[in-house]
Amino acid sequence: MRSRVSLSRKLFNVSNALFLTGVTLLGIVPFLHLLSISLSSNTAAMAGEVKLWPVGFSWDAYIYLGEKVEFFRSLRVSLERVVLGTIVNMLLVFLTAYPLAKSNEQFGSRTVYVWFFAVTMFFGGGLIPTYIVVVKTGLIDSIWALILPGALSVWNVILMLNFFRSIPKELEEAATIDGAGHWTILWKVFLPVSLPSIATIGLFTIVGHWNAWFDGILYLNSPDKYPLQTYLSTLIMSMNSMMTSVSVEQLKVLENLSEKTLRTAQIFMGALPIMLVYPFLQKYFVRGMTVGSVKE
Amino acid sequence: MKWRRSWNLILSFSLVLSLMAACSSKEGNKEGSSPSPSASVSPSASSEDGGESAEAEKPDPLGKYPETVTVTEVIGYNPPEDPRTPSGMTPDQNAYLKDLKEMTNIEVKFKWMVPNSQYEQKFSLALASGDLPDIMELDQKNFEKLKNQNMLGDLTEAYEQYASPDLRKYMESDGGFAMKTFSVDGKQLAIPAFEDPFLSTQILWIRKDWLDTLGLQPPTTMAELDKVAEAFVTQDPDRNGQNDTYGVSLQKELFFWGFDLRGFFNGFGAYPSVGDKQSAWIKGGDGKLVPGLIQPEMKDGLAMLQSWYQRGIINKEFALKDENKVVEDIVAGKVGISYGEWWYPNWPLNSHVDKDPKAEWIALQIPGLDGPGKSLVPKLRAGKVFAVSKNMKHPEAAIKMLNFYIEMGYKKYKDDEKAAKGYVYNWFNPRIYNPADIDNIYTEVNKALDAGQTEITLEDENFSNVDSVFRATKEYLAKDTSRQSLGISWGQYYSRAAKDGGWGTTKKVKESNAFVNNEFYGLPTETIVSKGGQLDKLMQESFTKIIMGASLDEFDKFVSSWKSLGGDKIIEEVNAWYDTQAVK
Amino acid sequence: MKKLKKNYPLHVMLLPGVVFTLIYAYGPMAGLVMAFQEFEPLSGFFKSDFIGLDNFKYVFQLPDFNQVLWNTVLIAVCKMVLFLLVPLILALLLNEVTKSWFSRFVQSAIFLPFFLSWTVLGGIVIELFSLNGPVNALVSSFGLEPIMFMLDNSWFRTIIIGSDVWKGMGYNMIIMLAAITGINATLYEAAEVDGAGKWKQMIHITLPGIAPIVIVLSVLGLGGVLNAGFEQILIMYNPTVYEGSDIIDTFVYRLGIFSQQFGPAAAVGLFKSVISLALVSATYYAAYKYNNYRIF
Repeated sequence: MRSRVSLSRKLFNVSNALFLTGVTLLGIVPFLHLLSISLSSNTAAMAGEVKLWPVGFSWDAYIYLGEKVEFFRSLRVSLERVVLGTIVNMLLVFLTAYPLAKSNEQFGSRTVYVWFFAVTMFFGGGLIPTYIVVVKTGLIDSIWALILPGALSVWNVILMLNFFRSIPKELEEAATIDGAGHWTILWKVFLPVSLPSIATIGLFTIVGHWNAWFDGILYLNSPDKYPLQTYLSTLIMSMNSMMTSVSVEQLKVLENLSEKTLRTAQIFMGALPIMLVYPFLQKYFVRGMTVGSVKE
Repeated sequence: MKWRRSWNLILSFSLVLSLMAACSSKEGNKEGSSPSPSASVSPSASSEDGGESAEAEKPDPLGKYPETVTVTEVIGYNPPEDPRTPSGMTPDQNAYLKDLKEMTNIEVKFKWMVPNSQYEQKFSLALASGDLPDIMELDQKNFEKLKNQNMLGDLTEAYEQYASPDLRKYMESDGGFAMKTFSVDGKQLAIPAFEDPFLSTQILWIRKDWLDTLGLQPPTTMAELDKVAEAFVTQDPDRNGQNDTYGVSLQKELFFWGFDLRGFFNGFGAYPSVGDKQSAWIKGGDGKLVPGLIQPEMKDGLAMLQSWYQRGIINKEFALKDENKVVEDIVAGKVGISYGEWWYPNWPLNSHVDKDPKAEWIALQIPGLDGPGKSLVPKLRAGKVFAVSKNMKHPEAAIKMLNFYIEMGYKKYKDDEKAAKGYVYNWFNPRIYNPADIDNIYTEVNKALDAGQTEITLEDENFSNVDSVFRATKEYLAKDTSRQSLGISWGQYYSRAAKDGGWGTTKKVKESNAFVNNEFYGLPTETIVSKGGQLDKLMQESFTKIIMGASLDEFDKFVSSWKSLGGDKIIEEVNAWYDTQAVK
Repeated sequence: MKKLKKNYPLHVMLLPGVVFTLIYAYGPMAGLVMAFQEFEPLSGFFKSDFIGLDNFKYVFQLPDFNQVLWNTVLIAVCKMVLFLLVPLILALLLNEVTKSWFSRFVQSAIFLPFFLSWTVLGGIVIELFSLNGPVNALVSSFGLEPIMFMLDNSWFRTIIIGSDVWKGMGYNMIIMLAAITGINATLYEAAEVDGAGKWKQMIHITLPGIAPIVIVLSVLGLGGVLNAGFEQILIMYNPTVYEGSDIIDTFVYRLGIFSQQFGPAAAVGLFKSVISLALVSATYYAAYKYNNYRIF
């Protein structure tokens, strides 16, 4: 009996591992492709001959990239943005989700607040009005224009409040009996037990700030303030697709677009730092965190 | 609404007419009374009858202001072209701005700087927030908007007084046609940066080495082209033993700025497009303008394309390919023929030549039904204009800046290290080029080559452009790759200077009158704006399907839908424009 | 009264979120009037002419609008369902992996494509499915005729849906993994004692444990029923597959509405918002009524 179960289990484990390996490959292949292009000779890259292995191996793109002031300058802006933005966002998400996770009986005005926030998930004023508000509040051309307009992500609040609800009620009750107020419960009880969910939402926030590029174009007036992805977007799209004829000047832009390896190297290097964040955060996804604290 | 707008146009037009008439008679009187034109006016300018009220004490076109004049601008910039430009520079650090300050005491402040592809977007935000700079680079659409809202300053006086002889020479090179297009009620509201319209001429690029390998002659008719293209598919022109080549390159946008079908259809006497999403307009038998897109000649072209698709002469998956993918095929040496303009050797053919030194591309006039066909050439090629805000205190500063930019082309400013010192020419606005730049380069370089010169001795403002092509030519002919790759040198030489190259072939088209004009150069009409997108979608869908094998009768269906979905209205509007506003 | 005092800190906690939302989400909503105006940036909101519902009429009466609406809903619904199912299955399978290094590695790899934009990935996908691409190599190795995947309406739609799920599945998978992590471990211990196998544990503990978060994700997902993936489709499609894959966003984009006609663009946006809000509210109350669960 026992051995039969473990045999089928073994079979499952092996096929599971095989399947997941396949899925893993699918995720890695595009990066391998980009890496190979960036390490190939430019003509081979332009002829589309590079698949998963460099053709005409060359470090040139990376050597050139090492001298690119723009790349490192915008990398620094990106790091600044991620740190500031994540702190602001997480703080607001945490503060907002806590009251909203209460039941309607505990917190009567909850429903009003919830819909006040929820509506903004569906309705937006669009580009021009948002731009005008950013100008009027004096954020234009500063890093805060990239952070404050999206300071509260309602989506993340909803995720967070649902995580909060799965925290055993006994924890809060015990603390209330000990005379703790809402602030104490928030910091001393909820914070320590929500690490997995904070890690999850924190990850999305970090990735969101890292990948955002369009707000940089809209709200920053000088390219030396651009975060990395905004800078990278200028490399990919420097040709206006709406143009109808190639002027002598645009022709020179076309010529420069041929630096495919360099562009690819920058795309690859731009994704690299953020790819390292997830494995780092994974250590917070530890089973039993919640349970452990309940027992204490 | 609609009617009000067209009334305005008609009204303003008649005003222009009467004012122009008034002006020219006044000029006539004046010329009689003031016999000696100022020395600062170029001879070509004074010979024009439209002339100017030349005063002897005309101010210096590059005169220095006693006090600093601050001018605000915005810029949509492209990356600097020269790799030696210091890394990390931004347009406000451009060394030209320092020179400008020194020479004229004009200081430029950028309200914002944005990559060129996002300029449109950012500019409409600036419009909405009411924050306009002093000097603006506008496309035709925005020019029209600002003009109608009365936001533009009058440049007439500033131009009259301050334009340098070189600037005047440029603006008068087309008989003042472009300038006239952008003046309203006798007020010059913008200075157009226009180029020689023949730069848009379609020619045919073909692999000479493949022709030689297969023992074929360069095609001059569509029938011959058909044979050559088929041979490129079936007879393994690259001799690699594989069936991996095809005849004619084509990308998914059938009418575009390159690798498209404009030139192909021209060969059938059909004129569907100038590269944008709308039809080209040619003069019909009754003197009215007709849209080339729906003429019966199109059907013959589509029939041939259908057969080409069937026989693998155009790629089976052309509908998937954007320009980058098509360029991949060219650089990989998989395709032997492409319709395009004079500049192909500059990009992407140069990369192919670098990759495969045996590859040899030549330019031909487009094949027609019997002998070379007639290419389509626009009337006006002005992608952008420069205008000033009506609140600008010193509109003449804009003209001085234009003068300054042209001045910088003279030999005395030559410096090989300019880029390394932070001079980025395409970050300087407003900038206007010699409209005849390419033709001038062609003439001057060939003159120097024929005379066996070792360097360019030219003394005018065109020096630096001529010089760079001349150097590349010398390097190409000497197979010298110390400064840049052979492909790049060949590209500059073969596009601009070679007698049988890009511009050389275009000149042949021009001189042999093998062209047809696109007569409509006005703004998109009301119905083009509201219905143009739908009509374009209809065209892309029908034509792509026909090429891929749908019945040719689809074309007739397309024509009737096109007309009923707004096309008839557009024909009316365009002809109304033609009757009243075209500068004939 | 006592309750108010007790809940006073809750209001304080919500204050920052409310302020930011008021300024940066509700502020720009004034711009919704554009949907009823013949908006012209130079004139602004105050001076542009009001034209009633003309913008809506204009958009709805465009030829092919019904086909496009149908495509949008079809593609979006397929994506929505798969965005729940695929990550759920992956999360459950990953949960069965015992070697933690392998699990972490697979998680990271699955999340990878999320970091690349469609401008980069679009070209790679097209290449994969082209006539000379690897997928067709596989097809011919089975002795079948090569297929022009990207030029066939139904294949193309499948690829659009599949590749988007592939790119984005890591996101929901991580949320679900975090939810699984939050399940009380004592439940599994008890089940093991009772002799329940892995399969039974999954059915009776894991699935109910993450049901709330799955419900939240599906309800919020419904809000995207008219967003079928603008950027992706714009980059990958071509005239031969307009019929089956043109969605509202790409359709109006191609008609030049976004770039030139602000009024109609705002009307499309408002239309989409209203539909999303209606759908989400309906499911919100359904979830509450039948399950007594408030998702937010």
